Amino acid sequence: MLDSISFFRVIKSGMTNFIRNPWLSAAATMVMTITLVIFSTLFLLFTLTNYSIRTIQNTVDISVYFKLGLAEEQIAKIKSHVESNSKVQEVTYVSAQQAFEDFKTRHANDPLITSSLNELTENPLPATLHIKTHELSDYPVVADDLQNGQYKNVIDKVNFEDNRVAIERLNRVLKFIITFGLGLVVIFSIIAILVIYNTITLTIYNRREEVEIMRLVGATNWYIRGPFLTESILYSLFSTLITTGLLLPIFTRVIPKIIDYVNPQLNFYGNNIFNPLFLILVLFALALALSIVSMFLATRKYLKI
Amino acid sequence: MIKFQSVVKEYNGQKALDGISLQIHHGEFISLVGLSGAGKSTLLKLIIGEEKIDGGKILIDDVDISHVRKADLPYLRRKIGMVFQDIKLLPKRTAFENVAFAMEVCGHTLEKIKKEVPQILELVGLAHKADSFPHEISGGEQQRVAIARSLSHRPVLLLADEPTGNLDEVNAMEVLDLLLKINELGTTVILATHASDLVNKIKKRVITIEEGKITMEQEKGKYKL
Repeated sequence: MLDSISFFRVIKSGMTNFIRNPWLSAAATMVMTITLVIFSTLFLLFTLTNYSIRTIQNTVDISVYFKLGLAEEQIAKIKSHVESNSKVQEVTYVSAQQAFEDFKTRHANDPLITSSLNELTENPLPATLHIKTHELSDYPVVADDLQNGQYKNVIDKVNFEDNRVAIERLNRVLKFIITFGLGLVVIFSIIAILVIYNTITLTIYNRREEVEIMRLVGATNWYIRGPFLTESILYSLFSTLITTGLLLPIFTRVIPKIIDYVNPQLNFYGNNIFNPLFLILVLFALALALSIVSMFLATRKYLKI
Repeated sequence: MIKFQSVVKEYNGQKALDGISLQIHHGEFISLVGLSGAGKSTLLKLIIGEEKIDGGKILIDDVDISHVRKADLPYLRRKIGMVFQDIKLLPKRTAFENVAFAMEVCGHTLEKIKKEVPQILELVGLAHKADSFPHEISGGEQQRVAIARSLSHRPVLLLADEPTGNLDEVNAMEVLDLLLKINELGTTVILATHASDLVNKIKKRVITIEEGKITMEQEKGKYKL
């Protein structure tokens, strides 16, 4: 490859290329920035939508309220009946006593409720089963089986929060983001490759005499290609920096608002849900990949190396 | 030193070189003569690996250069200097910088460049023009700068492709004298030219090429076409 003297000469030469053609460099950096902004917007939308779907999916379950005073053995039988259904993922039993305790702890800070609870002689809360199914579409089936099946006489109420419509809508949004967004990213990546290819071709054209003499006097291929590689790395670096600058207000202002709306308790930047640093690294890697591909295409065609 | 064994080179089915066999020894001065398009430039391009041969073999110090890897070509070129009719100096660089450029791209240190470039310019008689730009000096001087540049790697072989083609008689003689001097210092020189008066003055080995074939070889020859 290159020794250290040549390495520094190559870097210097690449920087000179970058600075001597400010408009070309600006155009290449801008089109790369646009590609990165589109990519990161997409990435953020995808992460947010995906997270929202998971959050809402977790809130869906069937609650089965039994009539007061039903024997534990009877409930255990119903529980194992539900569990034997292959559509069911998980069944949790909350006894009447447990429900009462939970209620008390939940409202421990509310003196009005506490005092009224103290006046009760008997537990007004029923025993319940909480059921989660594997698939969203299984909820109505399982609910219907309990409402109208063999145990309907001992069951007081079957409740399930039907968020399926919202979830399906979100799923459609997600699909749209993926197809439309990926299409955009591909289109802009191609534009970026073409623009950088042309920029480097023009730089090669500007320096064709130097390049010809370099080849003639025995410069290695890496020495000839090096300045153009440096130039491509500079495009990637600057476009990543500009994109990061544009994204900062989104990270600090827009995302917290959305999170407040979806789930205020959520630590979006922790918990491995979203790491801005990771996104920036991905952006830089994408920019590098695009510009280096363009550089290799241009140098292979015009430098015959 | 250089051996051509039945070398064939074709361009679009047309034979530019047709079975050239030739031996060139260390320290020789060879005039390669022939009309334009006879194959002189092609022969030189094959030696520096700029073109690939289509048949036969070229051995430089017993190394078959048709098998030199692309990545190793630069190192071959550092052993061979080359000058051209169109000189190919960088117009925005001084004589000193043009010579220094060749050393820079091959990874020589700044100290070495600062020490050796003046010596090489001295050798070609242009020490006093070190800071002149190409447009400020004569055609002959420009060609001498180009020769200085090709000498910066201390090549064992110097190829000159019509180096006097664009020069008047006085300037052409200057360049020829320099090539002879370099040859006396031990570098093998191959001069491709169709300038008969130059060749007749040299009185060294002459190889005549016509339509891709060697038609005549003379020790201490003259230009006969």
